[in-house]
Amino acid sequence: MEQVQYHIRCKKNEVNKAVLLPGDIERADYIGTKFFNKSKKITENREFHIYNGTYENKAVAVCSTGIGCMSAAVAIEELTNIGCKYFIRVGTCGSLSPEIKTGDIIIVTGAVRGDGASKEYVPIEYPAVADYRTVNALRTRAKKQDTDYKLGIIRTHDAFYMESPFAFGDYKKRITIWAEAGTLAIENESSTLFVIGSLRKVQVGTILVAAGNLITDKESTKHGLQKSIDKAIIIATGALVDLQEEEKK
Amino acid sequence: MKKMHHLQIIPGQIGEFVIMPGDPGRCHLIAEHLENPQLIAKSREYTTYTGKYKGLIVSVTSTGMGCPSATIAFEELIMSGAKYFIRLGTTGALQKNINIGDIIIPTSAVRLEGTSVEYIPIEFPAIADIDIVDALIKVTHNKNKKFHIGIIMSHDAFYKGSVFADTDFLKREQVWIDSNVLSVENESSALFTIGYLRKVKVGTILTAVANHLTRNVIIDEEKINPIFHQMTDICLEAFKNIGKE
Repeated sequence: MEQVQYHIRCKKNEVNKAVLLPGDIERADYIGTKFFNKSKKITENREFHIYNGTYENKAVAVCSTGIGCMSAAVAIEELTNIGCKYFIRVGTCGSLSPEIKTGDIIIVTGAVRGDGASKEYVPIEYPAVADYRTVNALRTRAKKQDTDYKLGIIRTHDAFYMESPFAFGDYKKRITIWAEAGTLAIENESSTLFVIGSLRKVQVGTILVAAGNLITDKESTKHGLQKSIDKAIIIATGALVDLQEEEKK
Repeated sequence: MKKMHHLQIIPGQIGEFVIMPGDPGRCHLIAEHLENPQLIAKSREYTTYTGKYKGLIVSVTSTGMGCPSATIAFEELIMSGAKYFIRLGTTGALQKNINIGDIIIPTSAVRLEGTSVEYIPIEFPAIADIDIVDALIKVTHNKNKKFHIGIIMSHDAFYKGSVFADTDFLKREQVWIDSNVLSVENESSALFTIGYLRKVKVGTILTAVANHLTRNVIIDEEKINPIFHQMTDICLEAFKNIGKE
């Protein structure tokens, strides 16, 4: 497929096959320029900023997805079309557990499909499950970094102003069912990324940093949060290195 | 102490580790692998044995067929103190590359059953505990058995989704075949969902005894019993490894 992909504006093999997927464009720039060696900007179109680079001498890439499953699905579909195979979303989330404080790191095993995009792909009873090899690679790197993390199910949804500290009306009432089920946190992209990963046989995982707590209403300081995000980026990029090594064996 | 309503067991009579087959008639095959296995209770479709394996106290409890009876067994076992669970059973393959006799280790399950929906809305994922999955993969790999890892589908109506179903069954299953679902069975999705809600560790190991695409199926006991012994060996070693950690 020599065709340029419609939104990300790249062709086959132009993007390294192990890709970090932050939501924020600026975070893609930050990762590409501050964490990668031999960093090279590939394209920039709409909310998709793409860089190639190396990390521990392995080829890696980063592509921002924008907010929400709609644009995230476009990103992972088009990256898969051009040969990408390993994906780790790295982003922020709102904690649904009093035990998960702002700045804490979460490694995700599966996601509640509260989004609309994944329902167009496959019926709702199909599980949004993270690739287990990717979950294990993230766990291994977190241990290596001496970083504590929580492991479990999160909720993905579409309407930020229905379920966030900035939401209209009684948002706590809306999230109670998920908090009581032990759902760790809430964000906007993972469920669709996981479903598409299973359907297209590519490996997808997610690592998140709690940016606020929806139960205790605590926000994090910008500085404290950045330290945790840096940790999550280092864990995720390391995991992409290990996953490529693992495949060689 | 009061006996559990359906299982007719009391806490203290079972171990923290439980193997759960569907069929009460196969519990004794599994119990044979334990040291000094004791028949604890027999009630309805629930038969329970307790014995020892390399220092661990392990129980075997049948669940009966389907999520309604399986979740009753699961809830009563949790109330009785069990913490680690492996469902052990048979399955119908949905992919061409899965042969009869191949082992399947699910990471998660499609919730095409009615029971788990009473617990939590359908968009919640039915995920197997990753530590149980890892332990099963390691042991199966070390035994050099052919196995597949991925998503399975759990459903309620055998005569709508099996090789014995009416002729349209493949049409209904096409969406799952196209979505890379490995195989079909009847209990895992509710066990995975409730396992997460109750904060216990649960996984599943299955062996394909049918393939829906080729319509091959085995039903004779002489062929199926060795499959159960093989899976029991894997479950017990997996429990031993988890017990060590």
